[in-house]
Amino acid sequence: MKNVITNLLFLIFANSLFAAEIILQNPEVNKEAPLFSVIDSNGMQINLADFRGQPVILEWTNHECPYVAKHYSENNMQALQKTAQNKEIVWLSIISSTPGEQGHVDANTANKLSKTRDAYPTHVLLDESGEVGMKYGAKTTPHMFMIDSNGVLRYKGAIDDVGRGMQFFSASLQDAFNYVATQLDALQEAGQLQIGSTNPYGCSVKYNYD
Amino acid sequence: MLLANPVNTGHAKASLITNLQSSNQESFYVGVRLQMQDGWHTYWENPGDSGSPFEANWSTDEGVIVENVQWPTPITIPYPPLMTYGYEGDIVFPFQVFRSQETELKTISVDFNFLICADICIPESASLSLDLSSASPSKILDNQINNLPTKTINTNSSIEGDNLVISFQSTESFSNAYLFPRESGNFFYPENQLLKQIDDTNYKISIPLLDSKLSAFSGILSLDGNGFQIKEQFSSQGGISLWQAILFALIGGLILNLMPCVFPVISLKVLSFVSMGGDDHTKIRNHALAFVGGVMSTFLSIAAALIIIRSSGSMIGWGYQLQSPVVVGILTLIMLGIGLILLTNINIGAGLTTLGSSVQSKNSYSGSFFTGVLAVVVASPCTAPFMGAAVGYALLQPSFATLPIFLSLGLGFAGPYVVLALKPEWISSLPKPGAWMETLKQFFAFPMIATALWLMWVFMVQTSGDALIQLLILGLVLGVAIWMIATFKGRWKWIGLITTVILSIQIFNNLPSPISSNQNDADATNWSLVSESNLQANNQAYLINFTAAWCITCQTNEKAALSRPSVQEYLLTQNITYIKADWTNRNEEIAAGLAKYNRSGIPLYIFWKPGMTESKILPAVLTEDILIRNLK
Repeated sequence: MKNVITNLLFLIFANSLFAAEIILQNPEVNKEAPLFSVIDSNGMQINLADFRGQPVILEWTNHECPYVAKHYSENNMQALQKTAQNKEIVWLSIISSTPGEQGHVDANTANKLSKTRDAYPTHVLLDESGEVGMKYGAKTTPHMFMIDSNGVLRYKGAIDDVGRGMQFFSASLQDAFNYVATQLDALQEAGQLQIGSTNPYGCSVKYNYD
Repeated sequence: MLLANPVNTGHAKASLITNLQSSNQESFYVGVRLQMQDGWHTYWENPGDSGSPFEANWSTDEGVIVENVQWPTPITIPYPPLMTYGYEGDIVFPFQVFRSQETELKTISVDFNFLICADICIPESASLSLDLSSASPSKILDNQINNLPTKTINTNSSIEGDNLVISFQSTESFSNAYLFPRESGNFFYPENQLLKQIDDTNYKISIPLLDSKLSAFSGILSLDGNGFQIKEQFSSQGGISLWQAILFALIGGLILNLMPCVFPVISLKVLSFVSMGGDDHTKIRNHALAFVGGVMSTFLSIAAALIIIRSSGSMIGWGYQLQSPVVVGILTLIMLGIGLILLTNINIGAGLTTLGSSVQSKNSYSGSFFTGVLAVVVASPCTAPFMGAAVGYALLQPSFATLPIFLSLGLGFAGPYVVLALKPEWISSLPKPGAWMETLKQFFAFPMIATALWLMWVFMVQTSGDALIQLLILGLVLGVAIWMIATFKGRWKWIGLITTVILSIQIFNNLPSPISSNQNDADATNWSLVSESNLQANNQAYLINFTAAWCITCQTNEKAALSRPSVQEYLLTQNITYIKADWTNRNEEIAAGLAKYNRSGIPLYIFWKPGMTESKILPAVLTEDILIRNLK
């Protein structure tokens, strides 16, 4: 009996240790971007390392989040994706919502969403476990990361300066200073960007925290 | 426009309330009350990792001004691995309103837009209106106003590794403490903030940093939901690196050799080397090494003592050793004793012997070692002005950085002897031994006695004139003892020494309790930890003088600049409040105040006037000109 209790206590202890390991990383700008390998909405295994030689933009997204919804309903995100595509920059939209939480979608729905919203991501990545999100310290949707052709992280943060505060919902995104759009050309030169990091804003990424 | 109150926004009930009691009040509050459904929350001004604070757009009649919201103390709303800050349940956001008497109070309206979240987030809004001419005062609003985090708390912050460590005092007990940082981007919100209780009322909390180059922050410290405002600035001036500090310590140590209280002791050592002549190089090297050993081990002991004292949680600063009248008294006697020994041309056993001895006498290596120890002890009153920055840096560093700084200080101090140990033949380049040595030695008695006089004055300020007389009597007994030792043989010579020791114990045991020397400057306001923030809040220019009776630089500055009529007049005409922080006796609050500027020693002069974003640290050496130029 005593043994059982000891084992039980040990289990609880071990479990709580395990739970404590869910921790958000904080990758440094101008250092190598964390590598990842994750499945996309067409069932393909996508490795970040495969894009070496091309700049990559990561967009954390959740189509039900009101912040994301506004960026898409005003055609702001799609226009940026289109510009990136024309410049041969890889665009990865990443969904880190855990199953059952807001924004989580299956592969079909993900593809349908791209179609109905007229979006141009190179791939939509399904990060159900939240592993990629944790590696990048993705906090909000949207949360943007820019990686240059050498695999160096050059920008992390908000998409634009409309930022936190309720004015976001009444402001025009066309007039905003878009940190990603204005630094696309500089990203192609694979050097340090003028603005390397800003505070992201939006809904929290719906990680599995139970 | 549809006027409504309350409004159901979807996941909350929003209403507009006021505490206005009579129609002629010039200032009152209105509040937006949100009654959120279970499991839903909205955000503080810094929402944490995600979310957004609300937005309120007021429409009022002319003559009515609505101030910004006064944020209630938030709570943590963790969504691991993220952390957000906000409010749950029933919350009131108070806004202060000012109006001119002529304005008739009518309707006040607000468009209130907020983000309300459970697992998901929804932007909701309410257009609320309240007829102020008929509204009844709300108790709920008054309660919220009473609980606003308007109190301040004495804190002292430092950056230790990847953490911001805030020390604070609380006489009331609590179980949870949390710092809500107001500015975003500096802190790692999701990680635990560790609380450590130092003693009955002192606590330390560490907050994980994202950016260890933090130069200022503000926020609310919540103790069991009881909020206190915190605002701190770290001085950029004290930002020297470990290597710079080590270099400064080395140079400072070298300069110490020239200080009036050290120079005689040191030069006598050199004289004894001179009299050894150029022939026995091994002997000179060994003596030099023994001396270096004495110096280094003393500095090492001081560093170790400081680390131990600091780890016990005490606030200490350099020069603190002179805050105890007993230490000052003993140093006075040592200085006086050395002065007398130099004059009487005698040799006393053990440590002091080698001071004036010729080659043949009991010139043991242990003698050289203790001369090293003695040199450091007598140097201690002189270290403060030269060592301020480096030692200040050392005391604020973790132990592994404190040690090298003190070792480098010792190395600089012992520098000439290290050279001598390496190149003993260089001694022959000094003048030949002869009668001039005796004359010089006797002359050196006077700087020692001058140092003793200064220490006596410090002692008097710390205690009283009566105590000083007792110290002087002790000096007389010491003089007799030294004379006896010089004159008699055998046990007689020890009687004098023993009498001195017994008498010292008797007198030092019965010292009157230290009196505060704050009252000596009628024009100066007394300093406290909150004076600066209070004066800045009132837009009042000020000059703070951190001083002490034992700080010789401070005293000179006061005579040469601060107490001059022209300076006092300038301060008066320019309406600059003059504040004096007297550190003659140990005072933790002042030590904490110095630490704010990365200093652990004095002098320190701080000046601020309206329009300056950061207060200015004035030069450590002041004249009338320099001071007034710096105040412009």
